[in-house]
Amino acid sequence: MKEYSRRDFIKTAGIAAGGLVMASNILPAQSKKAGDKLNVALVGIGAEGEVLLNSLLKLPNLNFVAVCDIWPIRRAYAFRRIFKELKQKAQQYEDYKELIAKHAKELDAVVIATPDFWHAPMTVDFLNAGVNVYCEKMMSDTIEGAKSMVRAMRKSGKLLQIGHQRKSNPRYIYARDVLLRKNKICGDIMACNGQWNRAVSKDITWAKKQEIPADTLKKYGYNDMNQFRNWRWHKGLGGGAISDLGAHQIDIFGWMLGARPSRVMASGSRDYYRKEDGSPAHDWDDNVMCIFEFDKTFQGRKAQVFYQVLTTTSSGGGYFESFMGDNGTLKMSENPSITQLFRETNAPDWEPLIKAGVIGSGSAPAASSTAVVDTRETKALVAYAFPSDIPGFDDKKPIHMYHLENFFGAVRGENKLSCDAEHAFEAEAAVFKARSAIEKGPLEFEESDFVVD
Amino acid sequence: MKKTLTAIFATAFAISVSAVPLKLEVPPAQLVGTPVPIKIENLEPKTPNPEPDVPADVKNIAKGKAVTSSDDFPLIGELSLITDGDKEASDGCFVEIMNGFQWVQIDLGKTSEIFAIAIWHYHSQERAYKDVIIQISDDPEFAKGVTTVFNNDHDNSAKKGKGTNKAYIETNLGKLVVVNPPVKGRYVRLYSNGNTSNDMNHYTEVEVFGR
Repeated sequence: MKEYSRRDFIKTAGIAAGGLVMASNILPAQSKKAGDKLNVALVGIGAEGEVLLNSLLKLPNLNFVAVCDIWPIRRAYAFRRIFKELKQKAQQYEDYKELIAKHAKELDAVVIATPDFWHAPMTVDFLNAGVNVYCEKMMSDTIEGAKSMVRAMRKSGKLLQIGHQRKSNPRYIYARDVLLRKNKICGDIMACNGQWNRAVSKDITWAKKQEIPADTLKKYGYNDMNQFRNWRWHKGLGGGAISDLGAHQIDIFGWMLGARPSRVMASGSRDYYRKEDGSPAHDWDDNVMCIFEFDKTFQGRKAQVFYQVLTTTSSGGGYFESFMGDNGTLKMSENPSITQLFRETNAPDWEPLIKAGVIGSGSAPAASSTAVVDTRETKALVAYAFPSDIPGFDDKKPIHMYHLENFFGAVRGENKLSCDAEHAFEAEAAVFKARSAIEKGPLEFEESDFVVD
Repeated sequence: MKKTLTAIFATAFAISVSAVPLKLEVPPAQLVGTPVPIKIENLEPKTPNPEPDVPADVKNIAKGKAVTSSDDFPLIGELSLITDGDKEASDGCFVEIMNGFQWVQIDLGKTSEIFAIAIWHYHSQERAYKDVIIQISDDPEFAKGVTTVFNNDHDNSAKKGKGTNKAYIETNLGKLVVVNPPVKGRYVRLYSNGNTSNDMNHYTEVEVFGR
């Protein structure tokens, strides 16, 4: 790594959140300082909560005061992990309000990874109780809920980091600042393409002996165990795939392009997942395709972004965001093995960039001896790798750890948040707008459109 | 389908006995979430389980049997889930024990002749478990009379000897380890050292086919 130093990275990571607008409350004064032990709580210990716990347990100087989940086996799981790995005895709670009542004064931070519809009330309550909050995305299942979180952050003066973890990932920061901006490796970016496609999966099940009593489920907003385990698909609880998965990537398009989208058109399909009686099994769409139009990117250009999230096929090679310019394409993913750069044949030579360590070496696609290539086609592009040494990146680190480090660094007054609620709201507003575009619907074809009189 | 056993286990039996192919009963597939890249050396491609012919009186003799572990305070679930007959992927159906090189051990109650062992570590996500080693012994301490029937610790990082078996991807189909020739023993011990998605060790079900 020659062109981009670790000092550059630290500087960039600190200003990473400043890409879109200046927020009023990015770096409030904190009573903690570098190296201080922080008292923390974890609320919501499902699949995502466990992912965060895996990273939290590896971070230094955290004291787990309490864990909270309405499912006894999951809060017991968190308790046992913390006890066995750190020899700390966290208090266990079913109700977060009880946790706040007993521990708010001693807590420096809480990490919230509950279903979306609990994010806003929990976050607002913790902030109002004086606790800094790391909350998973989506901020809320409703736009009003998300706004309430931003307002609570402003009013309380506490920190609110939203879990769009790519914004703290050194590979993403490098791509944005060094590749797209400093070296303009893609040239002028006029189009982007992204996807998160997953193979068909059945509703999540549970062991009958571990069922939560019906009255407890009701108390916390669920009709039954199926809704509790599959909340992502239900209106009033979650937001479906465009929210769960799309929010991450739609956020990245705006962040990389340095702009807010100007328009969106979208289409959703709810046809595949069915109950036994034939009715739709889920409230939200199986598949969504949308196009965002940006009027002025960081390059002062227009750009179109096509994004799809499909839950009926894993076609297309997983999840990525591509930035397509006249000189090349950056195919970006949290999965390093998917990440690649493609140079257009008429682009400036990339050899100097390889020699300078800005990018890795390229490998030409295998030639086909049998395929007949139409002479009007452009030949397949050479794929280039990222450099092997990106400042701050450690391939053994879980991908969420950087974002948590950024959050706790901010709590200790060491750095700014890389995704405070003000900025996260911009990205999530785009998701809510895409949903509205689906509801608004496309133009209908008439029979006469296909008939010549 | 019954037939005279002459094929795979022919060397083990001097007398021809009635034989049947061993077919595993598998739970429904239930993959959840985004696949995590599987980075592990010596990984075999997905292959269907063999269906070895075994004597007709061979059955799962592990069901309901006592299980102990190097970690007697599981993080989630109970050790008894390993032999309860429930192979589903759901929360509440598997046990998670500590990270690092850990073992679980099934006490079959008496010395038995073992023909195959089937394992489901965790199948809500495609992943491979590291340093999977399976041993059989009459010694509960596994200090003597130990037979290793599976070992994919190709670099001997666990110091149990270098294994020649390959790492494999977890699915709802489970992994059937054929023990040929059959091995006699009362205890079956299974080791692992985390997996390609996280550092933890999981078991949904273990079946021991013997008599």
